[in-house]
Amino acid sequence: MASQADFRDRQFLAVIGDEDSVTGLLLAGIGHVTAPPDNQKNFLVVDAKTDNSAIEAAFERFTTERKDIGIVLINQHIADRIRNRVDTYTQAFPTVLEIPSKDHPYDPEKDSVLRRVRRLFGE
Amino acid sequence: MSSPLPPPTKVTQPQPQPRPQPQTEQIDALLQHYLALLDEYTTLRAYLTALQTALFQDLARANFSAERGVRHYGRDYYDERMQAGRRVRVISSMGEGGGEAEGEAEGEGEGGGGLPVFTVGVYPPPGQGGQGQGIGGEEKEKPDSEGGEAVDGDGDGDDGHEDEKHPEQEGPAAPDDDADDADEDVKKIPNPKPKPKSADPLRWFGILTPLPLRQAQGHAIKAVEDIIPRLATLNAEMAGVELEVRRARKRRAKVERAEEKRVADLEEKMGKVDVGA
Repeated sequence: MASQADFRDRQFLAVIGDEDSVTGLLLAGIGHVTAPPDNQKNFLVVDAKTDNSAIEAAFERFTTERKDIGIVLINQHIADRIRNRVDTYTQAFPTVLEIPSKDHPYDPEKDSVLRRVRRLFGE
Repeated sequence: MSSPLPPPTKVTQPQPQPRPQPQTEQIDALLQHYLALLDEYTTLRAYLTALQTALFQDLARANFSAERGVRHYGRDYYDERMQAGRRVRVISSMGEGGGEAEGEAEGEGEGGGGLPVFTVGVYPPPGQGGQGQGIGGEEKEKPDSEGGEAVDGDGDGDDGHEDEKHPEQEGPAAPDDDADDADEDVKKIPNPKPKPKSADPLRWFGILTPLPLRQAQGHAIKAVEDIIPRLATLNAEMAGVELEVRRARKRRAKVERAEEKRVADLEEKMGKVDVGA
């Protein structure tokens, strides 16, 4: 059971996305780098060279290791690359939201919330 | 001859409609609420998609009209010591769908007995005040505080000039020979606090940023402050309602099984009575 203390310190948004998505969201002022020597960023820019393992590690870091993340935003096409990991994530905090990207429009069929809806109605 | 009286109308007893079980009514109410949440979710999704589209278009326009020397408005310009100006705040609230939480086993959507409500705004870091405040708009940092103006993102790009204006400096225009005195007066006035370094992410890309980039920032702020926290809240609320629907369905199935068993027992007893007669 998630206690109030569990989410009191969850003050950051984290982003895993392509460069334009991350740049756009950082323009809103959500980017944060922790104090040295950790220098942990709350975002990951994914490009064609980024390995799935790096994406999965970032997802793991934002959802499990760090206790100061409240919402994780991830591009839907990047979530597809670690779909199994994203779909098996069931924790209440942080909340994971899939967002569209420039080259990959939002597909409701893949949205985890809408998949839950279909399950509830027996499809 | 008197006309025959109309046949007496039969007072027909209304056929007793099978009254829906209270469990079914509860499930229907929950599903109704769930569909309302789903409707809001899909509406917000569409709005978020539109905002993201506008954001990407503005970024593309900014890159297209970039000055010479600017390769691409992207990660090459990120400040490696950036500090978040907009932060998440999560509070616990007893939601309509999760009001009857009874020992949530999975803890989904639960936090201190209520549903989590996400908000994003220009909040001070935890431990620097604002802990006991609510989530109303009045608790947002004042424009003159650190981060408040820094990530204002109103798109006018005049923050730097406004920062330099102080009420003390706006006296009547002094002649040139009095300028030194005026400067001394200004120096004598103690600054209430050191002027914080602007944390506006636009500054990463230079002082004179193109208009499309500022417009992109406006779209991003709208998405981050208005849409994303509401989507996160809806996500938690829907998860809570799903849990309740499943529980109510289990309860209904249990009641139905008990009813079937009772009818079967009754029929069995009636059969024994018939055989005995």
